Amino acid sequence: MASKDRLPVVPSRLSLQQMKTKYQGASKGHSMLKKKSDALMVRFRAILKEVYEKKLEAGEESREAMMALAQAKYAFGGELKHTVMETVKDATLTLKTVSDNVAGVQLPSFFKSEAEPGEDGGGTMMLTGLGKGGESINDARDVFTHTLELLIQIAALQTSFLILDEAIKLTNRRVNALENVVKPRIENTKKFIESELDELEREEFFRLKLIQNKKERERKKAEGEQAKVANNVELLTPFNPDKFANPEKATDLIGVAAGVDEDILF
Amino acid sequence: MAPGGMLLFNTDDGYLEAIIRGYRAGILSSADYANLCQCETLEDFRMQLTATDYGNFLQNEPSPLATTTIQEHARKKLVDEFRAISTQATEPLATFLDYLTYPYMIDNLILLITGTFKEKDISELIDKCHPLGLFDSMASLCIATTPEELYREIVVDTPLAPYFAECVSLDDLTALNIEIIRNTLYKAYLEDFYQYCQKLGGATAELMGLLLQFEADRRAINITMHSFGTSLRKNERESLYCNFGELHPEGIMRLARADDRSSVASIIEPYGTYRRLWSAAMDNPDKNLEDAFFEYEVYLAKQAFDQQFHYAIFYAYLRLKEQEIRNIGWIAECISQKNKSKLNKYIVVF
Amino acid sequence: MAAGNTIAHRDKRFFIAVIGDEDTVTGFLLSGIGNIDSSKNANFFVVDLKETSISSIEDAFKRFTRDSNTAVVLINQNIANEIRAEINAFKKPIPAVLEIPSKEHPYDASQDGILQRVRGMLGQAT
Repeated sequence: MASKDRLPVVPSRLSLQQMKTKYQGASKGHSMLKKKSDALMVRFRAILKEVYEKKLEAGEESREAMMALAQAKYAFGGELKHTVMETVKDATLTLKTVSDNVAGVQLPSFFKSEAEPGEDGGGTMMLTGLGKGGESINDARDVFTHTLELLIQIAALQTSFLILDEAIKLTNRRVNALENVVKPRIENTKKFIESELDELEREEFFRLKLIQNKKERERKKAEGEQAKVANNVELLTPFNPDKFANPEKATDLIGVAAGVDEDILF
Repeated sequence: MAPGGMLLFNTDDGYLEAIIRGYRAGILSSADYANLCQCETLEDFRMQLTATDYGNFLQNEPSPLATTTIQEHARKKLVDEFRAISTQATEPLATFLDYLTYPYMIDNLILLITGTFKEKDISELIDKCHPLGLFDSMASLCIATTPEELYREIVVDTPLAPYFAECVSLDDLTALNIEIIRNTLYKAYLEDFYQYCQKLGGATAELMGLLLQFEADRRAINITMHSFGTSLRKNERESLYCNFGELHPEGIMRLARADDRSSVASIIEPYGTYRRLWSAAMDNPDKNLEDAFFEYEVYLAKQAFDQQFHYAIFYAYLRLKEQEIRNIGWIAECISQKNKSKLNKYIVVF
Repeated sequence: MAAGNTIAHRDKRFFIAVIGDEDTVTGFLLSGIGNIDSSKNANFFVVDLKETSISSIEDAFKRFTRDSNTAVVLINQNIANEIRAEINAFKKPIPAVLEIPSKEHPYDASQDGILQRVRGMLGQAT
């Protein structure tokens, strides 16, 4: 376990607690991001299909539109393009955007907004071909407007596609980062702290044992001296560490004591 | 002199009439069209056209050919023919031929006016003008930078000045929709031309009367049909109708009040010609009323060739040739788009 | 997201720009998308591949894609092929660059950069 794989912390019970909280947070974040990524993916797949179909459809539409335009040119004459291009002033067909929220990602959708044909400005193009060719021009306009609607849909889908693509990549990067970097690191830190703490505990225990032993020896020495002094030599059972290490025995002792002492009322 | 006079017609105009009849022989036949329709690419199309009267008019064009290029060259050929005739014409044929160029002039002038509104470079716009509608003072149009200047300095010098003076004031120029101005001018032109033809008398008056009356009626019907759903008000619409024509005055008055297509249908019901055209257009889903009008125009123009010693033949030739250019453009368009489902829309002239 | 800023104004009107041959442009202008602003900048650009220089097409493309009022840029596929590098270099989601077929060149899905990506992701042999 290399030291760079864990966070720089002082091993203590407090930091262990902090790590545990961190780990919980990361797990929660991970599962949520995973869900977000899945949600985006669902939308993304739907869009993929639609973009593909619509694009092919638009290809067909444009063919029709071109044919309609050819008819308009037939009826009006070749100068149609000049007339149309020179008449352009203000756009009557523009776009409005509304954004749609998918798992926190803003996806735009476009809507065409047509200006009311006004007294002059708006309706300029409407009167083109008034005296001749008007019908065909209107037809061409209708077909082109329809194609345009389709293209607008595609544009919105395509934009969503690009945004989603980016968002999914970003989310997946985060998911992976959480999964492969952040979480293992916290885990490592946790393990590190735990092992450090265990180590400390064992040291403490060993230290305590040493001290106890020493104290016992000293006590025995003192008792031995006392016995010698009192001439009442009685061999004591040698020091049994089990008595301390094994708590079962300890409870046993209590149980025995309780059983013996029947007079004690609880 | 009445140009209809059989006795003296040939003195001045016989040669030109002969030339026109010669040109007429160059109009594509149904066999030519059938060949053109067989083409798979525009290169084939070019090859086929060399076999016709068009010759190698496209030989200097680099591939790939654009349909507009073909149409432009075909138009150029027509313009050359027309110029050849008009330079040799004496009065009153010269005036008559001038009248024929006015519609193009109107279109050009409208283009220039819209351009000036946008402060576009006029010399750039002149390239876009129809060559038949060029007029002498056009070069000086470059001076005009504002619509006011254009109106005061330039328009008065053109042959269109009387029409402008009659119908369009300077204020109208800026306030009215350009399409309304265009159609107002056109109306003034048609009325003037009609009167001029009547003054010429004879077969010219008779045949031109038919052709122009049809033109006037067609415009009236087109304008009415097209104005539904637009900002064009009824009184404005009425002011665009010509004061002659088969529909005039009764049908025109009723057209002015029409509100939808079906009312137009009922208005033209009493007029045999238009009733026929209307039902022809309605019966065939691939055809609209304007196609029917084009067909009828070709029919009328062809009739002009059946008589001699009159000027209508020049008008008719121009119309037929225009239809031919339209046909060529249409077929070329179908070929280049590889969409032959509607190929048969063209109108065979002879 | 980058798009977040662009969509901030709900009532804002966005334009559709066109780069195409004269027929394509004429057709779309008929539907009323054409706009010429006060400084006479048009939102359409007519290309004649025989005459128009590649650099001027690129300039038009850059102008349209940098304009914050433009939401969609339509471009004929055969013209897009001429400035492919420029188009591929443009990665922003808005404006959306749409490749549309032209009169003589029917739509070829295999040339569309976006569609290629789509197909790669769908993982289908279509």
